[in-house]
Amino acid sequence: MAILLTERKPYLLLLILLTFHLGLMSSRIRNASERSLLAEGILSLGSPFLKAAGGMGQGVSGTWNAYVGLRGVEKENRRLREQVDALALQANAAAEARQESERLRALLDLRAALPFQSVAARVIARGVDGGARVVTLDRGTGAGVRINQPVITPRGVVGRIFEAAGGASKVQTILDPNVGVAGLIQRTRVQGMIVGDGDRGCRMEYVSELANVEVGDVVVTSGLDQIYPKGYTLGVIAAIGEGEGLTKIIEIRPEVDFRRLEEVLVLLKPEGPPETSAP
Amino acid sequence: MKLVRALLALGTAALAQALVSRYAPVAARYCDLFTIVVVYYGLTCPPSAAMAMGTGAGLVEDSLVGSILGMNGFKKTLIGYLVGTIGSLFMLNQAVPRFGILFAATVIDPLAEWALSVAMGRSFVFPGTLPILQLGLGNGVLGLLFFWVAARLP
Repeated sequence: MAILLTERKPYLLLLILLTFHLGLMSSRIRNASERSLLAEGILSLGSPFLKAAGGMGQGVSGTWNAYVGLRGVEKENRRLREQVDALALQANAAAEARQESERLRALLDLRAALPFQSVAARVIARGVDGGARVVTLDRGTGAGVRINQPVITPRGVVGRIFEAAGGASKVQTILDPNVGVAGLIQRTRVQGMIVGDGDRGCRMEYVSELANVEVGDVVVTSGLDQIYPKGYTLGVIAAIGEGEGLTKIIEIRPEVDFRRLEEVLVLLKPEGPPETSAP
Repeated sequence: MKLVRALLALGTAALAQALVSRYAPVAARYCDLFTIVVVYYGLTCPPSAAMAMGTGAGLVEDSLVGSILGMNGFKKTLIGYLVGTIGSLFMLNQAVPRFGILFAATVIDPLAEWALSVAMGRSFVFPGTLPILQLGLGNGVLGLLFFWVAARLP
């Protein structure tokens, strides 16, 4: 019977199905308000698909919104990072400017107190070995800089000009072993010769074994070398040892931090012995 | 196995149609996935299978659309029978005749509904020539795509 319906005479199956549908339709039209288990069963066929579609839609839109949100967060994160970088640069520049301002103010104060004319200069280079035995300044003979003029900072003596060109000059610092500076101990007025000891600092020679010297004493220029005016700080005594014969060797820690040297003053003092002492 | 495939095809079509109707109502005017499935079964299976699919697809569509219960079932069963009969008489393996059958099935759908409505004394607003043409074209293109995909399924 089933084979007859499905294979040999499909129009019979068609008639049955169409009649079924017509019956469904007519029953629904006649009794629209009545409940029918068959009708309700058929009508509930679609609800799983509608629910699934709604769920999928919400899932897709939720995922999409999360994705868009993440993209937004990533974009904002990138923008904020750029902003932080820019602000860090600005803050760094501001800090740099403030520090430079403080240094220059100190230099200006020193310059105002000096009995000599002076010219401010920037350190533009150091020795090729990274040491500070020789530093190069951005001012030269064009600004009045001459050989043997002393170079100082508010903290103390840097050295002397030993080469001067039109727009630049070189300073032989007091760390150079070939340099000798006449100095004295500020507290006891004991005199001696300050000699560079490389990057370790300086040492004071020709000081009598009987001299009153203590660690922590301040050493200043004595002015006897005709180069450095009297009374400028050279450093502080760091250690005292025995020298040859009846002398002491005194290690001096310079007051100037040569590795951080940036701005200096060149004293345009006239040739000849200094007439006045340091402020 | 055939029954499982048929149920799967019907479920997929119902889900896709529900999704399209809900989230892309404009696109829903260009496709009737139930018609496509019924035509596919009409061209690849005996008329009885096509009619059974038409009945199932029509009832599911009725439950989704909310029209009079049995209306879409009647139309889709009729389409299944016609396409199944034509498919058993002619070799319709090429894209152009398949497109024609899909288009014709799409046109038959509102015509059958109009005839039923007249017979039952109900008012019926004919959707218009242009929307039917648009739906026919959409069904034709999507139907060919469906045939292409179905041919590659295991």
